[in-house]
Amino acid sequence: MQPARRDDWTSDHVWWLRSPMTSTLPVLAEPQHFDLAEKLVFAGLAVGSGTLFWRRFGPILKRILASKKDPDFRLRPLGRRAWDFFWEVLCQAKVIRQRPLPGLAHAFVFWGFCAFALVTLNHCAVGLGLGFLDPAGWFGQLYFYLAAAFALLCAAGISGLFVRRFLVRPRWLGEKLSWESGFIALLVFLLMVTYLAAFATADTSEAARVLWWAHTLCLLVFLPIIPHTKHLHLLLSPATVFLSRGGFSRIPPLAGDEDFGLVAGTDLTQLVSLQAYSCVECGRCTEHCPAANTGKVLNPKEIVLGLRSYLSELGPASAESLLGKYNSQEAIFQCTTCGACEFQCPVGIEHLPILIGLRRGAVNTGAWEDDHGGKLFLALERGSNALGMSATDRDKFVQKLELPIFDGTQEYCLWLGCMGGYDPKGREIIADFVRVMRYLDTSFGVLRKEKCTGDPVRRLGNDLVFQQLAEANLEAMALNNVKKIVSICPHCVRTIQEDWKEYGTPPEVEHHSEFLARHLEQLPKIRGEEKIVFHDPCYLGRYRNVYDEPRAVVRASAQLVEAPRSGERSFCCGAGGGLAFLGEETGERVSHVRAKELVDTGATTVGTACPFCNTMFRDALATKGSGTPQLLDIAQLTARALPTVGPSSAN
Amino acid sequence: MKILVAIKQVPERDAQVHIDASGTWIDEAGIQWALNESDAYALEEALQLKEKHGGEVVVVSAGPERVGSTIREALAKGADRAIHIDCAMGRLDALGVAQLLAAAIKSESPDLTLTGLQSDDLGYGQTGVILSELLGLPHSSLILHVEKTEQGLTVKRELEEGWFQTIELPLPAVLTIQSGGNKLRYATLMGIKKAKTKEVRRVTAQELGTTATPVVSLARISAPQKQKSTQMIGGSPKEAAAALAEKLKFEARVL
Repeated sequence: MQPARRDDWTSDHVWWLRSPMTSTLPVLAEPQHFDLAEKLVFAGLAVGSGTLFWRRFGPILKRILASKKDPDFRLRPLGRRAWDFFWEVLCQAKVIRQRPLPGLAHAFVFWGFCAFALVTLNHCAVGLGLGFLDPAGWFGQLYFYLAAAFALLCAAGISGLFVRRFLVRPRWLGEKLSWESGFIALLVFLLMVTYLAAFATADTSEAARVLWWAHTLCLLVFLPIIPHTKHLHLLLSPATVFLSRGGFSRIPPLAGDEDFGLVAGTDLTQLVSLQAYSCVECGRCTEHCPAANTGKVLNPKEIVLGLRSYLSELGPASAESLLGKYNSQEAIFQCTTCGACEFQCPVGIEHLPILIGLRRGAVNTGAWEDDHGGKLFLALERGSNALGMSATDRDKFVQKLELPIFDGTQEYCLWLGCMGGYDPKGREIIADFVRVMRYLDTSFGVLRKEKCTGDPVRRLGNDLVFQQLAEANLEAMALNNVKKIVSICPHCVRTIQEDWKEYGTPPEVEHHSEFLARHLEQLPKIRGEEKIVFHDPCYLGRYRNVYDEPRAVVRASAQLVEAPRSGERSFCCGAGGGLAFLGEETGERVSHVRAKELVDTGATTVGTACPFCNTMFRDALATKGSGTPQLLDIAQLTARALPTVGPSSAN
Repeated sequence: MKILVAIKQVPERDAQVHIDASGTWIDEAGIQWALNESDAYALEEALQLKEKHGGEVVVVSAGPERVGSTIREALAKGADRAIHIDCAMGRLDALGVAQLLAAAIKSESPDLTLTGLQSDDLGYGQTGVILSELLGLPHSSLILHVEKTEQGLTVKRELEEGWFQTIELPLPAVLTIQSGGNKLRYATLMGIKKAKTKEVRRVTAQELGTTATPVVSLARISAPQKQKSTQMIGGSPKEAAAALAEKLKFEARVL
């Protein structure tokens, strides 16, 4: 680089090569003439920093790569992966959407880093006398100014995040203050300041040299800190997002005769290990977790960090149980599988396959001993329903409602499910939905015999019983020539549509909210001033992406009120993941917390679209005494407007 | 301790049974089969004793091909190996089954033999008792809990109206196990996979050398008459509640 080059570059003849800012605006100063000693010192430090970095990062990479291959991993479709990468990584959509202010601060830092990639490369090259971006050239000047704008935003962003972490201190970030975070924030801030300050000096000044070295040292100190702190997500999370299984709560199939789920280190797959090391400890998962918010042991963030500690201390070849020192069995079985954690995670961690994987490991090997769980498993091993009732009870109900038996000629197979077939409240919902279907002249029938779809055993990790139930049901579906199923239970819908796929091709299935919304035009409505708060069931919202249909049904007869947490951030009722069948919860009851939130909206009616939510709130509201809102399923809301003919009561 | 458990395959609890053309048995077509309930408790007791004192649990079951699935279930729950007496259950009576079991068990000479109290289909409650007689061993029936002592066994036996009896008896012995004494374990995927490699020895009645002719035969079977009765309980709420609790406990037996 020649000191005189600026004059060469500002050629008036080639006007379009000339930067418009050349004559008036300051230019980034780059120190000139590094002597050999200085170059060697720089090279030595860079090599040292790189070595330190690799000595920490290498083993992590090795542990991830040495983990078991994911049996079901497919790189295609690439389009979905590319989109996730663009939306979640490059646009920082998840980060911003969930926590707009800190999210934007983070995005500024991220975009700052992206913009700085080229700047940093050139910065280091300058140290060796090989600078390739001319600060006065049209591109260089443009780019350095662009980077300067990002640097300003990045400095502001990192300051904001520093204030949040060390002064505001939201409890999701954990009790412990991490000095490393503060130090890293300082380094990032200094990187930006040293860059910006270089615009105020000249190439030849001593200040330029000092700034260059300060910037360099910040970089070289920063690099080795990355691998052993949460800043590892800088390197890993883009890959984690890109490589994620996709979908939601996608439970991988068991591979071979020796796979029982996540039992020991040898069962951790590359994706699980990658995800464990990607956690940035932001605590979004914990913030939304119904268990963590009601005084349970389970904290999804700690589950992921527990796996990371296991990997770091024992490695992926260890035969020691994953449950014990690093994670507790008690915590694993407190998960309602509501999926709020996975839905919110900004770095692509898929918590549900991990949590359910750990449950599979405990249940498939018999390590989990629980009175209620054992009873449920036995009821489904031998009987037909999760409630442990005799199948003849369902027959009686079918006779009482005079439900037609599905014979292959009807359009819909109405799936009763355990709740609809055996639970008193679930039967009321079925009865009202049947009234609606009869009013619409929809042809439907019910199967002569039904077995539980296997939802509770699937989520509790009992693959043996799940397989038996899925196969028996798929066989019955094929035998009866079922093409279309409609169900009042989002858990049944999810299990039929997604989970049965492991054992065959399930028929088309829809939730009754979708059916009702489609037929709203043909149904009578009562226009009232009644205020109804709609509770989004996890398995309808997050699992199926159905938010508008049940709301349309509610709006048809009343004024819709929204709970503080609704839509994709809805708070679980506490029943999912098989927990409806397990014993008393520790801490506060999830259903009570949610019921209070729904009552506090001032609504006169709580609208639900899931028989499990319904049963949880029925009990929770019963403890609230008089003046509590009534509780109705959307089928019941719809049926209220129908002329009263036919059987109106199920029991 | 070597423990032998005799188990029976019976129609599943939810099975819809229909009487066959002969009028002396049910139509077996389309029936789902399961492990007899009290046999499941006998197996559980055996597995718990093995876990405490070591040894081996061998299951033995008589019946046609279909019995294999119930045997596999027992192996999956933790039994070490099995003997399948391949025969048509057809017209066998309790004595006939006990003779087959005794012939198969003799060569095993177990320390303890367990059976369920009674079968859920025929409900004679005789097989285990006759078996002990054929083997010439001491026995006790209606057992809820078994404890191994230095001399032999201490067992808890259920009497009527909430009374229990504690009995000591020497080994070897035969016990018939009552339901509900333990919590049953669930079958696991790992158990099923392991069961595939466990030994199931198949023997026929001819090989065992027993040619039993039934001494008891079924004349006719019929579905129970459906009856609904309503009782009104009078008196003060306190008296009525007490009377209701009494009835629920001893008549309906649901408490």
